[in-house]
Amino acid sequence: MHVTLIQAILIAGVVALSNLDGNFFGEMKFREPIVTGFLVGLILGDVKLGLLIGAQLQIIWMGATGIGPTAQLDIGAGGTIGTAVAILTGKGAEVAITFGLPVAVIMQFLNTFLMTSYSVLMHRVDKLIDDLKEKQMIFIHIICGMITASMYAVLTFIVIYFGNNAIESVVKGLPDWANNGLNAVAVILPALGFALLLNILMEKTLIPFFIAGFAITAFSGLNTIAVTLLGVAAALFVYLLGTNKIAGISSTHAGGEEDEEL
Amino acid sequence: MSNQVISEKNNITKKDFRKTFWRSFTLLNSFNYERMEALGYMFSIMPELKKIYKDDPEGLKQAYHRHMEAFNMTIAPAPFVMGISVAMEEQAKEDPNMDRSSINAVKVALMGPLSGIGDTFFWGIFRIIACSIGVSFAKQGNILAPLIMLILFNIPTFLTRWYGLKIGYAQGSKILSDLQESGKMQLFTYCAGIVGVMAIGCMIASQINITSPLHFAIAGQKVVIQTYLNQIMPKLLPLLTTLGIFWAIKKQIKVTKIISSIVVIGFILGVFGIIGG
Repeated sequence: MHVTLIQAILIAGVVALSNLDGNFFGEMKFREPIVTGFLVGLILGDVKLGLLIGAQLQIIWMGATGIGPTAQLDIGAGGTIGTAVAILTGKGAEVAITFGLPVAVIMQFLNTFLMTSYSVLMHRVDKLIDDLKEKQMIFIHIICGMITASMYAVLTFIVIYFGNNAIESVVKGLPDWANNGLNAVAVILPALGFALLLNILMEKTLIPFFIAGFAITAFSGLNTIAVTLLGVAAALFVYLLGTNKIAGISSTHAGGEEDEEL
Repeated sequence: MSNQVISEKNNITKKDFRKTFWRSFTLLNSFNYERMEALGYMFSIMPELKKIYKDDPEGLKQAYHRHMEAFNMTIAPAPFVMGISVAMEEQAKEDPNMDRSSINAVKVALMGPLSGIGDTFFWGIFRIIACSIGVSFAKQGNILAPLIMLILFNIPTFLTRWYGLKIGYAQGSKILSDLQESGKMQLFTYCAGIVGVMAIGCMIASQINITSPLHFAIAGQKVVIQTYLNQIMPKLLPLLTTLGIFWAIKKQIKVTKIISSIVVIGFILGVFGIIGG
């Protein structure tokens, strides 16, 4: 089955929508294979088959919950392109996965690159704040997601219209060393966000609690909710201590201010 | 449409909250590794901030800068935190002596737990339920399948967002004014900081996956470096990396420089097989 220009453009549009779902639309879930499968089916003239492949992909992807924008695999792009290729070649969901995967990998690299470069724009926002240029600040916020979605759409169009071989050969042609290098960058970058958070909150008197939070999870694997509850317990204890609510223990300094100078 | 007044003193209305509600959907739109969702967060509460600091441009600038600090959270419960932030900003406007760092301390303290709960409910429970029901319809070729899935998933998320915002604002401002009156704000900020740094420590250990694939063959024996690192301490590399970057930030090195260094150094370390995921 041959794909027409219009169909390729529409499918690229579905991928853009699935990408905007995670950015602009706040995860309303347009990106789930049931939805994209349905839309791709509609575009290619076989709604039932689209739904069916979508359902198969949905089950496979159900367990693999990519959480947030740093998800390992792009469900939206991978699912959409996979379904399109499966319908076009007349093969099943397996084809959808094999073809969707290399594209999803490329998209993920692209996304990492974009999310790194948007950091630069944030400094522009810092400057705009001082001039109270709200409209431009909002423009930057909106444009970021639009750029990402357009990139996704262009790549998808190339893949669908000119064939998956182009992308596949790029992924396969990428030497192992380059792949390893890109992977290493992608695993290190999230550490930056946490370092910046530390920068907001960290005071000398909070170091013991930071150590505790890290050690508990590193050694026992307890999740965030568990550690937060322990944190709440510790915070309540300090609060009670600070307000002299615990009988028998009298803090030498009454009130909270002195706590920070301990 | 009714436009009831939510806050008398700053004339914040239901219409402003409705704006924040819709704007909060775009939280991830400008996601980046440095500030994460900060710009989206600031954009969401902009209508309220503008009213609170209507006749105080300097205060408004400071408030914008405050909310441009890094923030990251599962999006559905985020409006709850926004409600609290709005309440705190009102407090800050009224009381010039209020410790303004408490506004971000509260945000960061809520990030970890609400993301954890949000991920479990929305990504775990609601998504799985909505998708499995959707799948069963899709398999029969029912064209309503995507619609059913979308409605099932979005009802709880929409409700969470709207009521989260309202409850966050109402409860947040009540608790905060009580604290302010009793003079315990500073202690409260410190306690929020405890929860915050513990959550960050936990997230460093659970969400950063830096490992070393480095290995040697000594006398025919395969020696894997990561095994030894794990014996010293699990998650040693994520901790050292984060602290290294934190140190660089403290040294006033520009974040753009830090990012480019991460890209260059990370790439080289990856190429030589020293660092991997």
